[in-house]
Amino acid sequence: MSFIERHVAADGFDIRYLEAGDGPPLVCFHGAGGLRLSRAHELLAEHHRVIAFEAPGFGDSEVNDRSNSMSDLAGSLLEAIGALGVDRFAVWGQSFGGKLALWAAIAAADRLDALVLTAPAAIREGELPPPEELATMLHAHPERRPNYMPISPELDAKQRELVGRLIGPPRDTELEDAMRDLQVPTLVLFGTEDRLTPPELGRIYRELLPNCQFVIVYDAAHAIYDDRPEALAAIVTDFVEHHEQFVVRRESGLLYP
Amino acid sequence: MKAALFSIVPYQRRQDARGWPAPVDAYSSDVAQTSMAAALDQFELADELGFDWVTVAEHHYSPMSLTPNPMVMAAAVAQRVKHARIALLGSNIPIQNPVRVAEEFAMLDTLSGGRVVAGMLRGTSNEYVTYGVNPAESRERFTEALDLIVRAWTEPQPFGWLGRYYEYRTISIWPRPVQTPHPPIFMSISSPEAAELAAARRISGGLAVTTLDRARESVRVYREAAREHGWEPSGDQLLYRIAVHVAESDDQAREEWAPLASAHGHAGGLRLSAANPGVDEAAAGAGYYGRDAARQRSRLHAGGDIDERVETGQLMIGSPDTVLAQAKRIGRELGVGILELAFVAPRPELSRRSLELFGTEVLPRMRER
Repeated sequence: MSFIERHVAADGFDIRYLEAGDGPPLVCFHGAGGLRLSRAHELLAEHHRVIAFEAPGFGDSEVNDRSNSMSDLAGSLLEAIGALGVDRFAVWGQSFGGKLALWAAIAAADRLDALVLTAPAAIREGELPPPEELATMLHAHPERRPNYMPISPELDAKQRELVGRLIGPPRDTELEDAMRDLQVPTLVLFGTEDRLTPPELGRIYRELLPNCQFVIVYDAAHAIYDDRPEALAAIVTDFVEHHEQFVVRRESGLLYP
Repeated sequence: MKAALFSIVPYQRRQDARGWPAPVDAYSSDVAQTSMAAALDQFELADELGFDWVTVAEHHYSPMSLTPNPMVMAAAVAQRVKHARIALLGSNIPIQNPVRVAEEFAMLDTLSGGRVVAGMLRGTSNEYVTYGVNPAESRERFTEALDLIVRAWTEPQPFGWLGRYYEYRTISIWPRPVQTPHPPIFMSISSPEAAELAAARRISGGLAVTTLDRARESVRVYREAAREHGWEPSGDQLLYRIAVHVAESDDQAREEWAPLASAHGHAGGLRLSAANPGVDEAAAGAGYYGRDAARQRSRLHAGGDIDERVETGQLMIGSPDTVLAQAKRIGRELGVGILELAFVAPRPELSRRSLELFGTEVLPRMRER
């Protein structure tokens, strides 16, 4: 599945996105490290129209000093989705993008079919470690990353500045209050090996969100999409289609007819 | 030191060694019922004598053991044993449904007032044939099942598990274990892979069907790995299983036990993996044994005459004084705080007397430092 790079103008930004596949639209919000496709994106594109946005201020885009909050940035991305003519959609947000996805869901609950959060950074226990340490904490299985290229220190500094300015407190009361009323079916996934956002945080999402499924991904760290891409793509596809009824398994257990 | 009474709950009629799985053509349900009742009596007696633990195990398709589901036996034991902890060594978790294992341990902990010791083992190579699980996947399944079981005991919210070998979309077990955060876990530390995993997860270590030399090496690997993970196992976190026979005098004990001395190898090994060399060979070929395969496989064939068995730590035998000295030697050499004892004797009445003698003459003195 090959992704095509395009740009869309929205809210005064020129927003880059990568797109592949047919099917129900699945919008992807990346983590603090910026937009990078994974094997999970490719697998998801077999069942979805995957639209992976680069949030304004990340990657090669211009420095973003206009967004003043996560909710602001989410608003710009919702405009971009609208500009693409996508009416109803599911959102998958990773880490920083998970918090962004929550704000997008709160602002546009009526347009969202489902919300998927992997290792979301909306609730955190501590501050982000320095770059070198962070890099070693993302993966339980770094050997599974295909063609991995670390980003340049300049880009890292630029993105960190933006993330630091927007991410908000470890416990964001305004967000959490809004989460209590968010009816969108939500799937929250955490890896057993995740030391940045440990899986114990998952239960808080389950407690706050009225329609939340919490799943622990074995042998995955923060970058679940790299550590366990097949498993992630399968469960996300199932959840986007069946919502909370994804608990009922549909694969046949018949060995021989 | 603490003492555990281990019973494999054997079928109490001599069976010819006829491989594994053992055929049931000469099976008698009367013998099976008597055997289970006798085992329950023995557990109850051990409890009255002040044993710290009683232990059941999981084995399949063999008269050597009538407890293919140790959970069921443990539930019966919990009705008869009032004070001792009830240990299961173990549940062979890689061949089971881990959520079911978590539920059953939690039930037992509730039924027994928080006395369960949750042993989790891989089982012998033949057990992989029982439920059709590929022995090559044994270690990976073990590690994942272990992590899932602990999570099922401790996670307060319903959660799904997206594993490699196991997937459950939502889990929320009732009842919960009485012990918090969960019952003590023991696993075998015989192989270096297992010792390292136990050390990484801070799990207590068990040594069975082994010898002092082999056990010493296992404990060394375990302690070293534990140190790397920043902790030190206490005596109560190390268990050594051994056969024992006590009589009034050394000569009497040896005389009584003599008929068993000619049997080769550990009785356990003979009736399980070693009883079907083809199965064991195939499992070994699939990588069941890991990086010290030769040493692991040789454990099953240790054996020897009485002196050899005592010297190598396969048997404690003699008068109460002698057996006490033997027990202390093992405790000292390995740093183990729990001796798990199989009262093996040619006749049930000898075994019972041996248990009583141990309980009254050895056990109280074993506790002294």
